[in-house]
Amino acid sequence: MSLLPLDRSRLRLLAVAAAVSLGGCGGSEVIVEATFPRPLVEQLPVSMGVVIPDELYNFIYTEDIPDQSLWTIALGDANVAMLGPLFDGMFRQTKDVDSLALAAADTSLDGVIEPKLEKFEFDVPQGERDKFVEVWLQYEITVYEPDGATVIEWPVSGYGKSELLRDPEDAVQRAAVVAMREAGATIATKFSEQPQIKEWLGGIGNAAPITGPQAAVDGNATAESSSAPLE
Amino acid sequence: MERLRLIGIAAALPLIGACGVTARLEPYKQTDAVISEGEHVVVLARKQHSTHEAEEEFVQCISDGLSDGKRGLAVHSSKDFEDKMYPWFEPSTAPLSTDDLTVLLARPGVAEQVRETGVRYVVWVDGSTDRVASGGGITCAAGVGGAGCMGLAWWEDDSRYDLTVWDVKDIENEGTIYADYKGRSVMPAIVIPIPLITRPQNHACRGLTDQLRQFLTTPEGYTTPGSSPAPAATADVG
Repeated sequence: MSLLPLDRSRLRLLAVAAAVSLGGCGGSEVIVEATFPRPLVEQLPVSMGVVIPDELYNFIYTEDIPDQSLWTIALGDANVAMLGPLFDGMFRQTKDVDSLALAAADTSLDGVIEPKLEKFEFDVPQGERDKFVEVWLQYEITVYEPDGATVIEWPVSGYGKSELLRDPEDAVQRAAVVAMREAGATIATKFSEQPQIKEWLGGIGNAAPITGPQAAVDGNATAESSSAPLE
Repeated sequence: MERLRLIGIAAALPLIGACGVTARLEPYKQTDAVISEGEHVVVLARKQHSTHEAEEEFVQCISDGLSDGKRGLAVHSSKDFEDKMYPWFEPSTAPLSTDDLTVLLARPGVAEQVRETGVRYVVWVDGSTDRVASGGGITCAAGVGGAGCMGLAWWEDDSRYDLTVWDVKDIENEGTIYADYKGRSVMPAIVIPIPLITRPQNHACRGLTDQLRQFLTTPEGYTTPGSSPAPAATADVG
Protein backbone atom coordinates (compact mmCIF):
# COMPACT_ATOMS: atom_id res chain seq x y z
CA MET A 1 0.00 0.00 0.00
CA SER A 2 1.40 3.39 -0.91
CA LEU A 3 0.56 6.33 1.29
CA LEU A 4 2.59 8.86 -0.60
CA PRO A 5 0.66 10.53 -3.40
CA LEU A 6 2.85 13.20 -4.94
CA ASP A 7 0.62 16.22 -4.37
CA ARG A 8 0.10 15.41 -0.71
CA SER A 9 3.77 14.70 -0.21
CA ARG A 10 4.68 18.09 -1.62
CA LEU A 11 2.08 19.78 0.52
CA ARG A 12 3.39 18.05 3.59
CA LEU A 13 6.96 19.04 2.86
CA LEU A 14 5.86 22.62 2.34
CA ALA A 15 3.92 22.62 5.60
CA VAL A 16 6.86 21.18 7.52
CA ALA A 17 9.25 23.65 5.91
CA ALA A 18 6.96 26.54 6.79
CA ALA A 19 6.58 25.37 10.36
CA VAL A 20 10.30 24.86 10.74
CA SER A 21 10.95 28.31 9.28
CA LEU A 22 8.54 29.85 11.76
CA GLY A 23 9.95 27.82 14.59
CA GLY A 24 13.42 28.84 13.50
CA CYS A 25 12.90 32.20 15.17
CA GLY A 26 14.35 30.95 18.45
CA GLY A 27 12.09 27.94 18.82
CA SER A 28 12.56 24.18 19.02
CA GLU A 29 11.73 22.11 15.97
CA VAL A 30 11.23 18.39 15.85
CA ILE A 31 10.44 16.44 12.71
CA VAL A 32 9.54 12.99 13.94
CA GLU A 33 11.06 10.43 11.59
CA ALA A 34 11.29 6.71 12.09
CA THR A 35 10.70 3.40 10.43
CA PHE A 36 7.96 1.29 11.93
CA PRO A 37 7.74 -2.48 11.64
CA ARG A 38 4.86 -4.49 10.25
CA PRO A 39 2.99 -6.07 13.15
CA LEU A 40 3.31 -9.79 13.81
CA VAL A 41 -0.43 -10.47 14.04
CA GLU A 42 -2.88 -12.74 12.30
CA GLN A 43 -4.39 -10.87 9.38
CA LEU A 44 -8.12 -10.29 9.42
CA PRO A 45 -9.70 -11.71 6.25
CA VAL A 46 -11.06 -8.42 4.98
CA SER A 47 -10.27 -5.98 2.21
CA MET A 48 -10.07 -2.46 3.62
CA GLY A 49 -10.02 0.93 2.03
CA VAL A 50 -7.67 3.29 3.86
CA VAL A 51 -8.44 7.00 3.98
CA ILE A 52 -5.58 9.11 5.28
CA PRO A 53 -6.91 12.64 5.79
CA ASP A 54 -4.72 15.59 4.87
CA GLU A 55 -4.65 16.70 8.51
CA LEU A 56 -2.86 13.47 9.38
CA TYR A 57 -0.37 13.79 6.53
CA ASN A 58 0.40 17.34 7.53
CA PHE A 59 0.06 17.09 11.29
CA ILE A 60 2.12 19.76 12.99
CA TYR A 61 1.78 20.54 16.66
CA THR A 62 2.88 23.90 17.98
CA GLU A 63 2.97 25.07 21.56
CA ASP A 64 4.57 28.10 23.14
CA ILE A 65 5.79 26.95 26.53
CA PRO A 66 6.33 29.80 29.00
CA ASP A 67 9.96 30.08 30.15
CA GLN A 68 11.03 27.60 27.49
CA SER A 69 10.41 28.17 23.81
CA LEU A 70 8.03 27.73 20.91
CA TRP A 71 7.90 24.08 20.08
CA THR A 72 7.02 22.86 16.59
CA ILE A 73 6.59 19.12 16.24
CA ALA A 74 5.85 17.61 12.82
CA LEU A 75 4.41 14.10 12.87
CA GLY A 76 3.09 13.79 9.31
CA ASP A 77 5.90 11.62 7.95
CA ALA A 78 5.87 9.43 11.02
CA ASN A 79 2.09 8.95 10.80
CA VAL A 80 2.46 7.71 7.24
CA ALA A 81 5.41 5.50 8.15
CA MET A 82 3.53 3.95 11.08
CA LEU A 83 0.05 3.44 9.62
CA GLY A 84 1.09 1.93 6.27
CA PRO A 85 2.83 -1.20 7.61
CA LEU A 86 0.35 -1.40 10.49
CA PHE A 87 -2.73 -1.74 8.27
CA ASP A 88 -0.86 -3.93 5.78
CA GLY A 89 -0.11 -6.33 8.60
CA MET A 90 -3.60 -6.25 10.09
CA PHE A 91 -5.76 -6.78 6.99
CA ARG A 92 -5.64 -9.31 4.17
CA GLN A 93 -5.78 -6.51 1.63
CA THR A 94 -5.61 -2.72 1.80
CA LYS A 95 -6.26 -0.09 -0.80
CA ASP A 96 -5.68 3.68 -0.59
CA VAL A 97 -8.83 5.66 -1.19
CA ASP A 98 -9.05 9.43 -1.34
CA SER A 99 -12.42 9.76 0.31
CA LEU A 100 -15.24 7.81 1.82
CA ALA A 101 -17.51 8.75 -1.09
CA LEU A 102 -15.10 7.18 -3.59
CA ALA A 103 -14.85 4.03 -1.49
CA ALA A 104 -18.59 3.47 -1.78
CA ALA A 105 -18.19 2.81 -5.50
CA ASP A 106 -15.55 0.13 -4.93
CA THR A 107 -17.34 -3.19 -4.54
CA SER A 108 -14.15 -5.04 -3.67
CA LEU A 109 -13.95 -3.37 -0.25
CA ASP A 110 -15.42 -4.86 2.91
CA GLY A 111 -14.98 -1.61 4.80
CA VAL A 112 -13.06 1.62 5.10
CA ILE A 113 -10.73 2.69 7.91
CA GLU A 114 -9.89 6.31 8.62
CA PRO A 115 -7.34 7.26 11.28
CA LYS A 116 -7.10 10.76 12.73
CA LEU A 117 -4.67 12.18 15.26
CA GLU A 118 -7.01 13.88 17.70
CA LYS A 119 -4.77 14.86 20.61
CA PHE A 120 -1.10 15.42 21.25
CA GLU A 121 0.58 16.45 24.49
CA PHE A 122 4.18 16.53 25.60
CA ASP A 123 6.24 17.54 28.58
CA VAL A 124 9.89 18.51 28.75
CA PRO A 125 11.21 18.51 32.33
CA GLN A 126 12.94 21.57 33.66
CA GLY A 127 13.95 20.45 37.15
CA GLU A 128 17.06 18.38 37.80
CA ARG A 129 15.02 15.60 39.39
CA ASP A 130 12.96 14.88 36.28
CA LYS A 131 14.77 12.68 33.79
CA PHE A 132 12.15 11.92 31.17
CA VAL A 133 10.49 13.71 28.31
CA GLU A 134 6.94 12.42 27.96
CA VAL A 135 4.60 12.32 24.96
CA TRP A 136 0.96 11.33 24.94
CA LEU A 137 -1.16 11.17 21.83
CA GLN A 138 -4.56 9.89 20.85
CA TYR A 139 -5.71 8.64 17.48
CA GLU A 140 -9.32 8.15 16.55
CA ILE A 141 -9.84 5.12 14.37
CA THR A 142 -13.13 5.18 12.48
CA VAL A 143 -14.32 2.15 10.56
CA TYR A 144 -17.10 2.52 8.01
CA GLU A 145 -19.25 0.11 6.09
CA PRO A 146 -18.70 0.46 2.32
CA ASP A 147 -21.96 2.45 2.16
CA GLY A 148 -20.59 5.00 4.63
CA ALA A 149 -22.37 3.83 7.78
CA THR A 150 -20.13 4.09 10.85
CA VAL A 151 -19.09 0.79 12.43
CA ILE A 152 -16.98 2.22 15.24
CA GLU A 153 -15.25 5.38 16.39
CA TRP A 154 -12.42 4.10 18.51
CA PRO A 155 -10.04 6.37 20.44
CA VAL A 156 -6.60 4.81 20.85
CA SER A 157 -3.94 6.47 22.95
CA GLY A 158 -0.21 5.95 23.22
CA TYR A 159 2.30 7.08 25.80
CA GLY A 160 6.03 7.30 25.46
CA LYS A 161 8.88 8.58 27.53
CA SER A 162 12.51 9.10 26.77
CA GLU A 163 15.49 9.98 28.88
CA LEU A 164 16.45 13.63 28.61
CA LEU A 165 20.14 13.75 27.77
CA ARG A 166 21.72 16.78 26.15
CA ASP A 167 19.27 17.47 23.37
CA PRO A 168 15.59 18.01 24.34
CA GLU A 169 14.50 17.89 20.68
CA ASP A 170 16.00 14.44 20.25
CA ALA A 171 14.33 13.25 23.45
CA VAL A 172 10.93 14.53 22.24
CA GLN A 173 11.46 12.74 18.92
CA ARG A 174 12.29 9.45 20.68
CA ALA A 175 9.37 9.74 23.11
CA ALA A 176 6.98 10.48 20.23
CA VAL A 177 8.15 7.36 18.39
CA VAL A 178 7.60 5.25 21.52
CA ALA A 179 4.11 6.73 21.92
CA MET A 180 3.28 6.02 18.28
CA ARG A 181 4.55 2.45 18.56
CA GLU A 182 2.39 2.02 21.66
CA ALA A 183 -0.69 3.32 19.83
CA GLY A 184 0.09 1.04 16.89
CA ALA A 185 0.49 -1.92 19.24
CA THR A 186 -2.92 -1.23 20.75
CA ILE A 187 -4.55 -0.93 17.33
CA ALA A 188 -2.93 -4.15 16.12
CA THR A 189 -3.73 -6.22 19.21
CA LYS A 190 -7.12 -4.84 20.30
CA PHE A 191 -8.87 -4.02 17.03
CA SER A 192 -10.75 -7.28 16.64
CA GLU A 193 -11.72 -7.31 20.33
CA GLN A 194 -14.02 -4.33 19.92
CA PRO A 195 -17.65 -5.54 20.09
CA GLN A 196 -18.69 -3.42 17.11
CA ILE A 197 -15.83 -4.85 15.04
CA LYS A 198 -16.76 -8.40 16.03
CA GLU A 199 -20.33 -7.76 14.97
CA TRP A 200 -19.23 -6.13 11.71
CA LEU A 201 -16.89 -9.01 10.88
CA GLY A 202 -19.68 -11.47 11.64
CA GLY A 203 -22.02 -9.51 9.41
CA ILE A 204 -19.77 -9.75 6.39
CA GLY A 205 -19.31 -13.47 6.91
CA ASN A 206 -15.73 -13.22 8.04
CA ALA A 207 -15.84 -13.88 11.74
CA ALA A 208 -12.91 -12.61 13.73
CA PRO A 209 -10.62 -15.38 14.92
CA ILE A 210 -11.46 -16.48 18.44
CA THR A 211 -7.87 -17.33 19.18
CA GLY A 212 -4.80 -15.80 17.68
CA PRO A 213 -2.65 -12.72 18.05
CA GLN A 214 -5.55 -10.31 17.98
CA ALA A 215 -7.64 -12.17 20.52
CA ALA A 216 -7.71 -10.65 23.98
CA VAL A 217 -5.56 -12.20 26.64
CA ASP A 218 -8.38 -11.82 29.14
CA GLY A 219 -11.24 -11.53 26.69
CA ASN A 220 -12.42 -8.24 28.12
CA ALA A 221 -13.15 -5.93 25.23
CA THR A 222 -13.01 -2.21 25.84
CA ALA A 223 -13.81 0.64 23.54
CA GLU A 224 -10.88 2.70 24.70
CA SER A 225 -7.24 2.00 25.30
CA SER A 226 -5.93 2.31 28.79
CA SER A 227 -3.17 4.90 28.58
CA ALA A 228 -3.77 8.09 30.50
CA PRO A 229 -2.96 11.62 29.42
CA LEU A 230 -0.08 13.48 30.96
CA GLU A 231 -0.81 15.26 34.16
CA MET B 1 49.17 32.19 48.72
CA GLU B 2 51.43 29.14 48.48
CA ARG B 3 50.80 28.31 52.14
CA LEU B 4 47.05 28.62 51.59
CA ARG B 5 47.24 26.22 48.68
CA LEU B 6 49.19 23.67 50.73
CA ILE B 7 46.70 23.92 53.58
CA GLY B 8 43.86 23.45 51.12
CA ILE B 9 45.48 20.40 49.56
CA ALA B 10 46.14 18.89 52.98
CA ALA B 11 42.52 19.43 53.96
CA ALA B 12 41.19 17.98 50.73
CA LEU B 13 43.28 14.79 50.79
CA PRO B 14 41.02 12.83 53.18
CA LEU B 15 38.00 13.86 51.14
CA ILE B 16 39.65 12.78 47.93
CA GLY B 17 40.28 9.42 49.53
CA ALA B 18 36.59 9.21 50.35
CA CYS B 19 35.59 9.14 46.71
CA GLY B 20 35.15 5.74 45.10
CA VAL B 21 32.63 3.03 44.33
CA THR B 22 31.09 0.44 46.64
CA ALA B 23 29.67 -2.57 44.84
CA ARG B 24 27.24 -5.33 45.73
CA LEU B 25 26.43 -8.13 43.30
CA GLU B 26 23.99 -10.95 44.04
CA PRO B 27 23.54 -13.59 41.36
CA TYR B 28 20.85 -16.21 41.87
CA LYS B 29 20.57 -18.98 39.30
CA GLN B 30 17.71 -21.45 39.49
CA THR B 31 18.76 -23.87 36.75
CA ASP B 32 21.99 -25.24 35.35
CA ALA B 33 21.25 -24.34 31.73
CA VAL B 34 24.07 -22.80 29.72
CA ILE B 35 24.12 -21.12 26.35
CA SER B 36 25.11 -23.32 23.41
CA GLU B 37 26.76 -22.65 20.08
CA GLY B 38 24.41 -20.79 17.73
CA GLU B 39 22.13 -19.54 20.49
CA HIS B 40 21.69 -15.81 20.94
CA VAL B 41 21.01 -13.48 23.85
CA VAL B 42 18.99 -10.28 23.70
CA VAL B 43 19.17 -7.58 26.36
CA LEU B 44 15.99 -5.53 26.78
CA ALA B 45 15.00 -2.70 29.12
CA ARG B 46 11.92 -3.04 31.28
CA LYS B 47 9.77 -0.06 30.33
CA GLN B 48 6.60 -0.57 32.32
CA HIS B 49 7.47 1.74 35.21
CA SER B 50 6.34 5.34 35.24
CA THR B 51 9.10 6.57 37.55
CA HIS B 52 12.23 4.96 36.16
CA GLU B 53 13.61 3.05 33.22
CA ALA B 54 16.98 1.49 32.56
CA GLU B 55 18.98 3.93 30.48
CA GLU B 56 19.33 3.09 26.79
CA GLU B 57 23.10 3.52 26.92
CA PHE B 58 23.32 1.17 29.92
CA VAL B 59 21.41 -1.56 28.07
CA GLN B 60 23.68 -0.99 25.06
CA CYS B 61 26.76 -1.14 27.32
CA ILE B 62 25.74 -4.59 28.60
CA SER B 63 24.93 -5.80 25.07
CA ASP B 64 28.28 -4.58 23.76
CA GLY B 65 30.21 -5.93 26.74
CA LEU B 66 28.61 -9.35 26.41
CA SER B 67 29.54 -9.67 22.75
CA ASP B 68 33.09 -8.27 23.14
CA GLY B 69 36.30 -10.20 23.31
CA LYS B 70 37.38 -13.79 22.85
CA ARG B 71 34.66 -15.01 25.21
CA GLY B 72 32.03 -12.89 23.48
CA LEU B 73 28.53 -14.31 23.20
CA ALA B 74 26.15 -14.00 20.25
CA VAL B 75 24.05 -10.96 21.16
CA HIS B 76 21.00 -9.96 19.14
CA SER B 77 20.34 -6.23 18.67
CA SER B 78 17.63 -5.05 21.09
CA LYS B 79 16.03 -2.69 18.56
CA ASP B 80 16.02 -5.34 15.85
CA PHE B 81 14.44 -7.89 18.21
CA GLU B 82 11.70 -5.45 19.29
CA ASP B 83 11.00 -4.64 15.63
CA LYS B 84 10.83 -8.28 14.59
CA MET B 85 8.54 -9.12 17.51
CA TYR B 86 6.40 -5.95 17.17
CA PRO B 87 3.90 -5.37 18.78
CA TRP B 88 4.62 -7.94 21.49
CA PHE B 89 7.62 -6.40 23.27
CA GLU B 90 6.33 -2.82 23.60
CA PRO B 91 5.95 -1.32 27.11
CA SER B 92 2.23 -2.16 27.28
CA THR B 93 2.41 -5.60 25.69
CA ALA B 94 5.72 -7.12 26.83
CA PRO B 95 5.34 -10.26 28.95
CA LEU B 96 5.84 -9.59 32.65
CA SER B 97 6.17 -13.20 33.73
CA THR B 98 7.01 -16.55 32.20
CA ASP B 99 3.27 -17.33 32.31
CA ASP B 100 2.71 -14.31 30.05
CA LEU B 101 5.56 -15.55 27.86
CA THR B 102 3.83 -18.94 27.52
CA VAL B 103 0.64 -17.19 26.34
CA LEU B 104 2.64 -15.01 23.96
CA LEU B 105 4.57 -17.88 22.40
CA ALA B 106 1.30 -19.75 21.80
CA ARG B 107 0.13 -17.02 19.44
CA PRO B 108 0.43 -17.93 15.75
CA GLY B 109 3.77 -16.96 14.28
CA VAL B 110 5.37 -15.69 17.48
CA ALA B 111 7.37 -18.78 18.49
CA GLU B 112 8.50 -19.20 14.87
CA GLN B 113 9.69 -15.61 14.77
CA VAL B 114 11.63 -16.03 18.03
CA ARG B 115 13.27 -19.16 16.60
CA GLU B 116 14.18 -17.23 13.47
CA THR B 117 16.04 -14.61 15.53
CA GLY B 118 18.07 -17.39 17.16
CA VAL B 119 17.41 -15.89 20.58
CA ARG B 120 17.28 -18.35 23.46
CA TYR B 121 17.84 -16.01 26.40
CA VAL B 122 16.04 -12.74 27.04
CA VAL B 123 17.74 -10.59 29.66
CA TRP B 124 15.45 -7.97 31.20
CA VAL B 125 17.22 -4.95 32.65
CA ASP B 126 15.34 -3.09 35.35
CA GLY B 127 16.63 -0.20 37.44
CA SER B 128 18.37 3.11 37.01
CA THR B 129 21.15 5.36 38.22
CA ASP B 130 20.03 8.20 40.47
CA ARG B 131 21.66 10.96 42.45
CA VAL B 132 20.93 10.11 46.05
CA ALA B 133 22.86 12.82 47.88
CA SER B 134 24.84 15.97 47.25
CA GLY B 135 26.27 18.81 49.29
CA GLY B 136 29.02 21.32 49.83
CA GLY B 137 29.66 24.38 47.74
CA ILE B 138 32.27 26.27 45.80
CA THR B 139 32.71 30.02 45.74
CA CYS B 140 34.55 31.75 42.96
CA ALA B 141 35.74 35.33 42.78
CA ALA B 142 37.60 37.44 40.27
CA GLY B 143 39.54 40.65 40.73
CA VAL B 144 42.27 42.76 39.18
CA GLY B 145 44.95 40.45 40.53
CA GLY B 146 43.35 37.28 39.20
CA ALA B 147 40.56 34.83 39.87
CA GLY B 148 40.09 31.74 41.96
CA CYS B 149 37.69 29.36 43.65
CA MET B 150 37.53 27.87 47.11
CA GLY B 151 35.35 25.19 48.56
CA LEU B 152 34.28 21.62 48.15
CA ALA B 153 31.30 20.02 46.42
CA TRP B 154 30.37 16.35 46.59
CA TRP B 155 27.63 14.08 45.31
CA GLU B 156 26.68 10.44 45.47
CA ASP B 157 25.14 8.38 42.65
CA ASP B 158 23.48 5.02 43.14
CA SER B 159 23.23 2.50 40.29
CA ARG B 160 20.74 -0.22 41.16
CA TYR B 161 19.88 -2.79 38.55
CA ASP B 162 18.18 -6.15 38.37
CA LEU B 163 18.83 -8.49 35.48
CA THR B 164 16.26 -11.22 35.00
CA VAL B 165 17.18 -14.01 32.59
CA TRP B 166 14.48 -15.94 30.75
CA ASP B 167 15.00 -19.03 28.67
CA VAL B 168 12.50 -18.65 25.81
CA LYS B 169 13.20 -22.15 24.52
CA ASP B 170 12.28 -23.97 27.72
CA ILE B 171 10.05 -21.07 28.90
CA GLU B 172 11.52 -20.69 32.35
CA ASN B 173 13.02 -18.07 34.57
CA GLU B 174 16.73 -18.83 34.85
CA GLY B 175 17.33 -16.44 37.73
CA THR B 176 18.35 -12.90 38.54
CA ILE B 177 21.43 -10.82 39.15
CA TYR B 178 21.06 -7.86 41.48
CA ALA B 179 23.63 -5.08 41.47
CA ASP B 180 23.99 -2.01 43.63
CA TYR B 181 26.92 0.28 42.92
CA LYS B 182 27.29 3.48 44.92
CA GLY B 183 29.79 6.09 43.86
CA ARG B 184 30.84 9.30 45.58
CA SER B 185 32.41 12.09 43.60
CA VAL B 186 34.13 15.15 45.06
CA MET B 187 35.25 18.42 43.56
CA PRO B 188 37.66 20.37 45.77
CA ALA B 189 38.39 23.89 44.60
CA ILE B 190 41.71 25.36 45.62
CA VAL B 191 42.07 28.27 43.23
CA ILE B 192 40.86 25.94 40.45
CA PRO B 193 38.14 23.25 40.83
CA ILE B 194 39.52 19.71 40.54
CA PRO B 195 36.76 17.25 39.63
CA LEU B 196 37.32 13.73 40.97
CA ILE B 197 34.38 11.93 39.45
CA THR B 198 33.39 8.33 39.92
CA ARG B 199 30.86 6.76 37.59
CA PRO B 200 29.10 3.88 39.33
CA GLN B 201 27.01 3.20 36.23
CA ASN B 202 30.15 2.29 34.26
CA HIS B 203 31.30 0.02 37.08
CA ALA B 204 27.80 -1.53 37.26
CA CYS B 205 27.87 -2.22 33.54
CA ARG B 206 31.25 -3.94 33.73
CA GLY B 207 30.33 -5.90 36.86
CA LEU B 208 26.96 -7.02 35.56
CA THR B 209 28.36 -7.93 32.15
CA ASP B 210 31.03 -10.17 33.69
CA GLN B 211 28.51 -11.73 36.04
CA LEU B 212 25.97 -12.24 33.25
CA ARG B 213 28.58 -13.92 31.08
CA GLN B 214 29.30 -16.39 33.90
CA PHE B 215 25.59 -16.81 34.50
CA LEU B 216 25.01 -17.83 30.91
CA THR B 217 28.12 -19.95 30.42
CA THR B 218 28.51 -21.86 33.70
CA PRO B 219 25.96 -24.25 35.22
CA GLU B 220 26.19 -22.67 38.68
CA GLY B 221 26.07 -19.13 37.30
CA TYR B 222 29.07 -17.70 39.15
CA THR B 223 32.67 -18.59 39.87
CA THR B 224 33.52 -20.55 42.96
CA PRO B 225 34.62 -18.69 46.13
CA GLY B 226 38.17 -17.54 45.91
CA SER B 227 37.73 -16.09 42.48
CA SER B 228 35.88 -12.87 42.02
CA PRO B 229 33.05 -12.01 41.96
CA ALA B 230 31.31 -14.34 44.36
CA PRO B 231 27.59 -14.36 45.10
CA ALA B 232 26.44 -11.46 47.25
CA ALA B 233 29.89 -9.98 46.86
CA THR B 234 30.50 -6.54 48.31
CA ALA B 235 33.64 -4.71 47.37
CA ASP B 236 35.25 -1.34 46.99
CA VAL B 237 36.05 -1.07 43.34
CA GLY B 238 36.91 2.59 43.09
